[in-house]
Amino acid sequence: MGHKSIEEIINSEVILSVDDLVIKFNLRGQELTAIRGASLDLHKGESLAIVGESGSGKSVFTKTFMGLLDANGRIEEGTIMYKGEDLAKYKTEDEWIKIRGKEIAMVFQDPMTSLNPLKTIGKQVQESIELHQNLKGEEAKKLTLEILNDVGISEPEKRYKQYPHEFSGGMRQRVVIAIAVACNPNVLICDEPTTALDVTIQAQILQLLKNLQEKYNLTIIYITHDLGVVANVADRIAVMYAGDIVELGTADEVFFDPKHPYTWALLSSLPQLGIKGEPLYSISGTPPNLFKEIVGDAFAPRNPKALKIDFIERPPYFQVSQTHKARTWLLDPRAPKVEPPVMIQKMREKWGGADEK
Amino acid sequence: MKYFITRLLRSLLTLIIVVTVVFLLMRMMPVEGYFGASFDKLDEAQKVAKLENLGLLDPWYIQLKDFYVDLLNGDLGESITYRPKVAITKILGDKLLISLRFGFASLCLSLVVGLSLGILMARFKGKLWDKLGTWYVVGANAVPAVIYYLLIQVFFTDIFNLPLLFDKSDPKSWILPVFCLSLVNIAYYAMWIRRYMVDELNKDYVRLARAKGLKNKEIMLKHVMRNAFVPMAQYLPASILYTVSGSIYVESLFSIPGTGGLLVTAIQRQDNSLVQSLVLLYSSIGIIGLMLGDILMATFDPRIKLGSGGGSR
Amino acid sequence: MTSKKIINKMADNIDPSLFEFAEYDETKGELSGYSNYSFWRSTVQVFMKNKVALALLIVIAAVVAFTLIQPYLPNQKSPTQIYINPETGMQFRNVRPNGEFWFGTNSIGQDLWARIWSGTRTSLFIGFAVGLFEAIVGITIGALWGYVRKLDALITEIYNVWDNIPSTVVLIILTYIMKPSISTIIFAMCMTGWLQMARFVRNLIIIIRDREYNLASRCLGTPASRIITKNLLPYLVSVIMLRMALAIPAAIGNEVFLSYIGMGLPIDIPSLGNLINEGRSLMMDPNQRYQLFFPAVVISVVTISFYVIGNVFADSADPRNHV
Repeated sequence: MGHKSIEEIINSEVILSVDDLVIKFNLRGQELTAIRGASLDLHKGESLAIVGESGSGKSVFTKTFMGLLDANGRIEEGTIMYKGEDLAKYKTEDEWIKIRGKEIAMVFQDPMTSLNPLKTIGKQVQESIELHQNLKGEEAKKLTLEILNDVGISEPEKRYKQYPHEFSGGMRQRVVIAIAVACNPNVLICDEPTTALDVTIQAQILQLLKNLQEKYNLTIIYITHDLGVVANVADRIAVMYAGDIVELGTADEVFFDPKHPYTWALLSSLPQLGIKGEPLYSISGTPPNLFKEIVGDAFAPRNPKALKIDFIERPPYFQVSQTHKARTWLLDPRAPKVEPPVMIQKMREKWGGADEK
Repeated sequence: MKYFITRLLRSLLTLIIVVTVVFLLMRMMPVEGYFGASFDKLDEAQKVAKLENLGLLDPWYIQLKDFYVDLLNGDLGESITYRPKVAITKILGDKLLISLRFGFASLCLSLVVGLSLGILMARFKGKLWDKLGTWYVVGANAVPAVIYYLLIQVFFTDIFNLPLLFDKSDPKSWILPVFCLSLVNIAYYAMWIRRYMVDELNKDYVRLARAKGLKNKEIMLKHVMRNAFVPMAQYLPASILYTVSGSIYVESLFSIPGTGGLLVTAIQRQDNSLVQSLVLLYSSIGIIGLMLGDILMATFDPRIKLGSGGGSR
Repeated sequence: MTSKKIINKMADNIDPSLFEFAEYDETKGELSGYSNYSFWRSTVQVFMKNKVALALLIVIAAVVAFTLIQPYLPNQKSPTQIYINPETGMQFRNVRPNGEFWFGTNSIGQDLWARIWSGTRTSLFIGFAVGLFEAIVGITIGALWGYVRKLDALITEIYNVWDNIPSTVVLIILTYIMKPSISTIIFAMCMTGWLQMARFVRNLIIIIRDREYNLASRCLGTPASRIITKNLLPYLVSVIMLRMALAIPAAIGNEVFLSYIGMGLPIDIPSLGNLINEGRSLMMDPNQRYQLFFPAVVISVVTISFYVIGNVFADSADPRNHV
């Protein structure tokens, strides 16, 4: 799975390191804690997927890497170390200008509205080049055409002069990707890049991203709620719930040897695991209210296998392997042995576990 | 092309209905009005004779037909009570020119100041410029214009030693009227450009531009301002054309012999021909201005294809 | 952060019995939701945050209340009576504000203080009446326009024609035909004013009909009354309140305009428009400027207050501002 082996990835340098990040928002006079102490290390060249439901905080988490947080949000605690600097301390636009585009670029979810409707797409891509690659005029245009070609837009000369409304959804997303890549970034954050697209186009876009990753030496973070996408592209997976990263591991580990009850529930919900004639599995309950302070494990109220301590004390990370950790008291030696649900075992049967490492 | 023809025809129809309605309304005015002070002094026969002379005794459809026939010949008729027997085209000619010049000067001033103010307000939303600008817009819109015109006339003539009334030979006498005329329009342009810019600033493509690494100033200049201006383009031709209809307040307060009070006076003197001509003029301006505005907007916005649905307004 | 370290740290503190299974209560998982949102409460909250609007609301309430009680206060003079100086037998013409005549007198000896409050009463009355009638007529026509598809084309044409006729023309002609009086003015302003309200209501109804959340409500079997109160009304009420609030400055403006061209209320009925006119004729004399000044201030306060309150309320009712 993937271009590099897991060993290579783990051993490559850590380019982005988030430690105990806490993000709060002022909403309707109250305070909402969107991220409750999340930590993450990003290795050079990997594809990391952040998975979670809507509202789990995935987008907010990554927006802070670029200073794109809404005005009513702030970083309360924690650090974001990148190239020796703590991005969490950045306050002014000048500081963020050094990061945005040039170091970290973003691909947004909705290609229909991400482009300026009154500018040609050629100009919009070229803008990135002129900003970050020190080229102007004809040279910039040449590179623009090359990138347009790379992202799979045929007849780049002709398309260069066209406006966004003359492109289909999939093509527009390619343009957005082109804009991001044209910035020559180190890290590319793709926020639900395929959610708004047809299923047939989804696979194309994902393949495109993989190709670009090779060619341009990118480290990619995928934010998605679609486990199918994850299975396709991810080297490592971070599972988010209620503003916290509850499980982190390689794709194989998370899919075939998950440890957190939420991950179990998430994977069990895959419709592909359903048995014909029987009700599909779904997680009961709803995510917790982030206005209130959460005591213990956030997932506990919805977890049939919760321990008493889950309601009292927040679980720390327990290391399962060098690359795999999860925040659940079930991994504590004192906890009773709990087998993952039937669904998980079915996954192993159905899809492998053959290439466990 | 077909779109324009249909549009023109529809506008023409509306125009005809408008003029006819006003025509009929005017005919409902009290008969005494045609005579002015001399009403009581004339006897029945003389009144009938005068009305017949003015062509007012014919059935209304005949009058209407006559009006349109003359119109097609380029003849707007003669004024009946305002300046009896004088061709309306002559009356309008001079006045239109004067109002036009004032209106145009005011338009330029309003656009420059208004757009700049609005852009500042959007750029510094919530801060001082925005607050000041908002108070200005509120004052200009809420308070009846005549009030601040009067106050300006009273105080500014003293403080700045400016002439009170318009005098062709004194360029300084242009200052106050143009200033007054601009006040309301500045508020108008400022408010709209601010609103459009704020709307644009909330859009996704601005988010992408920011993520690309563009500075706020660059985003404003290269993306937002241009996009916000497009909807304003719709109103521009109409504004230019409307300069021919001077402001009744400003022109009467400063004694400017323009078209400002003409409509009101015409109605009060029950000068039917003059009223009809003016209504025809203003309505045509409105309709043509709108059409030009739509064309202008289409040239700026590549998404707009004229001819697709939409109501007349 | 190795697990060994953590466990050692906490090993002593945790009671082993806590590692037993807890009782699973399925309903506990549903206890979330930010359902404390109430549209009207948020609207009021946002409105209250705007200190200026709040202050103006108090001001205008005070002004309106005062215009109503003023005649019943002690020592008030009649707005129409001409006051004669007992010593000289002459009228108290153009007296500057003093202890007897708080706002001075006008050129024929009437007390300006009483006239201004009487005029404000009249103008406010006209404004409210116009706002109310515009609302009724506008909503009715707008509702029919938007709801009954067959009427759409017809009313659109009527709207276009009416919109193209300069409102000044209609105002003046109607006033002429019907002779100036309070009811004439109200009628004439309504004739030109209903357009805006009708168009708003019509646009809203069309949006309401076709918006997906209303289709969804209907699919779920929501009764029409609930759709109207929960989906339609919040929109409608805020728009109507805005237009009514703005109708008052507009009506005052129109009334001033009509007075300016001599088509206003008869001068024996004090109105703000008439007062401005009277003040205008004397404004170049610095001693007499108060006759223009006082009505101008009152008009400004009233119009600005209604304008700001209306606009701030409309902004507060916009759910996008309910953050």
